[in-house]
Amino acid sequence: MTIPENRTLLGPDGSAILRAQGDAGAIPIPRAGAAERTAVQTGVITTTISKVIQWGRYSSIWPALFGLACCAIEMMAVGNSRYDMSRFGAEVFRASPRQADLMIVSGRVAQKMAPVLRQIYDQMPEPKWVISMGACASCGGIFNNYAIVQGVDKIVPVDVYVPGCPPRPESLLDAVVKLQKKIGQEPASLRG
Amino acid sequence: MTTTPTSDSARPVSGARAARLLAAKIPHAVLRRDEAYGEETVYVAREHIVEACTLLRDDPDGLYRLAVMVTAVDWPDREPDEPRFDIVYQLRSLQYNDWCRLVVQVTEDDAHVPTMEKVFAGMDWHERECFDLMGIIFDGHHGLKRILMPEDWEGHPLRKDYVSFGEPVAFTHNIEWALPAQERPPGMPGSAR
Amino acid sequence: MAAILPPSGPPPGLPPHEEDDPFAPARALLNVPTELDTVELVEIGQDTMELNMGPQHPSTHGVLRLVLELDGEVVRECRPDIGFLHTGFEKSFESHTYQQCIPLTDRMDYLAPPINNFGFSLAVEKLLGIDVPLRGQYIRVIMAELARLGSHLVWFGTHALDLGATTPFLYAWREREHILDINELVSGVRMMTSFIRVGGLMADVPDEFGPMVEQVVNTFPRRIDEYELLITKNPIWVERTRGLGVLTVEDCLQYGATGPVLRGSGIPYDLRKAQPYSSYDHFDFDIPIGSRGDVYDRYLCRMQEMRESVKIIRQAYKNLPGGPVNTSDRKVALPPRNEINTSMESLIHHFKLVTEGFRTPKGQVYHAVESPRGELGFYIVSDGGNTPYRCKVRAPSFSNLSALPHMVRGELIADVVAVIGSIDIVLGDVDR
Repeated sequence: MTIPENRTLLGPDGSAILRAQGDAGAIPIPRAGAAERTAVQTGVITTTISKVIQWGRYSSIWPALFGLACCAIEMMAVGNSRYDMSRFGAEVFRASPRQADLMIVSGRVAQKMAPVLRQIYDQMPEPKWVISMGACASCGGIFNNYAIVQGVDKIVPVDVYVPGCPPRPESLLDAVVKLQKKIGQEPASLRG
Repeated sequence: MTTTPTSDSARPVSGARAARLLAAKIPHAVLRRDEAYGEETVYVAREHIVEACTLLRDDPDGLYRLAVMVTAVDWPDREPDEPRFDIVYQLRSLQYNDWCRLVVQVTEDDAHVPTMEKVFAGMDWHERECFDLMGIIFDGHHGLKRILMPEDWEGHPLRKDYVSFGEPVAFTHNIEWALPAQERPPGMPGSAR
Repeated sequence: MAAILPPSGPPPGLPPHEEDDPFAPARALLNVPTELDTVELVEIGQDTMELNMGPQHPSTHGVLRLVLELDGEVVRECRPDIGFLHTGFEKSFESHTYQQCIPLTDRMDYLAPPINNFGFSLAVEKLLGIDVPLRGQYIRVIMAELARLGSHLVWFGTHALDLGATTPFLYAWREREHILDINELVSGVRMMTSFIRVGGLMADVPDEFGPMVEQVVNTFPRRIDEYELLITKNPIWVERTRGLGVLTVEDCLQYGATGPVLRGSGIPYDLRKAQPYSSYDHFDFDIPIGSRGDVYDRYLCRMQEMRESVKIIRQAYKNLPGGPVNTSDRKVALPPRNEINTSMESLIHHFKLVTEGFRTPKGQVYHAVESPRGELGFYIVSDGGNTPYRCKVRAPSFSNLSALPHMVRGELIADVVAVIGSIDIVLGDVDR
């Protein structure tokens, strides 16, 4: 086929498949991963157990329903159709912390809520991660007073902090992606 | 210039009806009346507040049957000339489209007011909140305990002498606050040295 | 707890097997005859079970804790435990200038932030005795009604989700995104706009505001019809909500319940009509009321209120006048930026307003607005300074929630969720 000069034809995955070569027409560009493609065609891939476990863990994170305040509304917006969180495997919000592995602390933590937060965190089985969503959860936000715990990391260990008041849904998605990268780097074995 | 007076300024004075009713029916309860910003406030003696609210609720000229709120204002610098706390009650009358404000003044040592729970069931929670945040005791309340703060909290946060303190924000002039315990200068609170 | 035994005899279609009836010993103990078809309930005790619901719970609409005393499935007593989101707003207000309080007010009732700003601004303007130009008032009305739409959409989505319908949740949030786009256009922030300020607005609306509002106005009524088609005559919905959580008029008044809870019981009281503020009396809209005061009537009220909000927005937008949006009182509203370059006075005003804020005269005022939940009132006491001496927020959800124990007494535990949804509480409003 002929393609316009100085143009490159892109395939469905974004990689170049044909490049214009002046009057000579178009030349095919070999796609990277030819060896892998052969492997997939034959049905065999090689990897480590650690990578597989990490891949399983980060591709299907189940957040616990822990919406506290305004950030919870944006968290609900992330789970909805425009900013779809199920693209990242994290759509299934479990009501019970015993079935969840991610706690998104979305909202300000009041003094009365602090022991409850710790108890919910303790009820989650390992491995578990915490995203501190919003300024109030990260550092107390605009409420520097008697009633709000100045940062949820005083109570639970936090993996990703998301700034914003409330953070845009894209920020929360970025946090989930960063968490996925982090999980991808954690050592994992069959023993847990 | 398209500035137009808002609808508020064409309205009659809020609470004037209630003030008139109280002055007519139980004048011994009314200590003074105050009008400002289109609102009339009636200062009622503590012993008669329940009677006043019941009258406002039941009288066919009043019908202030909606309990809006109870709150308190702390004026610590007023003592000993005037009592420290202003307990503010607000009621609304749907039939006459009016709301009124009653104020009871109590001193710090004697911060007791009879409860309004029997007159309006909704005052229950408002009084608990007033007790929790301001320390006003409502005599006769069936269960006056904290509602917003944890049960074992000490102090009443909304009082003016309660210092509300979260965390000092670290700037360059007070950067020591952001340091961990081992690095804080000796003698500073939270220092390990 | 009453003991319940299954009906005697084997299920129909199966041959009877007297020998291996597993309930024979129990029946013998309780002397229940085996040949009867009906069940006889035998009361063996008066104890109730105490069940804790929340604060982390999918259906409590936030961090609300309910301690329920159950007799089987029937709720005998319900004790709400609130305060899990207490933020100390009222204390924070005392140490912030009036302009700094506006972003704080956003975060109280976080489903309709512009309405919180609105109420606070109106109360302070009452204290100052200033007026906002008509254009400013109309835009305030449009933003407030859009916020009301957004809040009712969230209520609708979550209420339906609690009762098992997942589709309305996704539909409602899809529409809400359009409203958040408008919020973002005028103020830069999706939710906590801080757009309505003391003296007027943050700034005049850009040109794209018009087409976006028109799009909302033109598409929403059909969408609301879509939601009604899904839910209103749905037999499951009607069965689950009709006759439930009844609050009589007298109860509403006693508990101080306002808003759709009061209107669902039959009283046509809406502050926008009864005590109009910010030119609401220029617009023609109706107040939907219910007749029975149950969950279903409150649902119908709110659905109709969404339509009325669209009507108000359409009228306000069509008749939007020109002119400034902020009051001309330079001691309250910031001067336009270009004036600062040429006028020394404007520069000084700008400086004073930004660093110190404006001072209000001494006194106390109360101003209430109609939030999607009811009467949202701001009681501001000023001692002549630049911060409120005391700012009490009369939160509608606080009073509405205090009626909950009354509403669920005698209902089944599954209905508690429906009743909570129908009150439409926001815990930020309840706990402040």
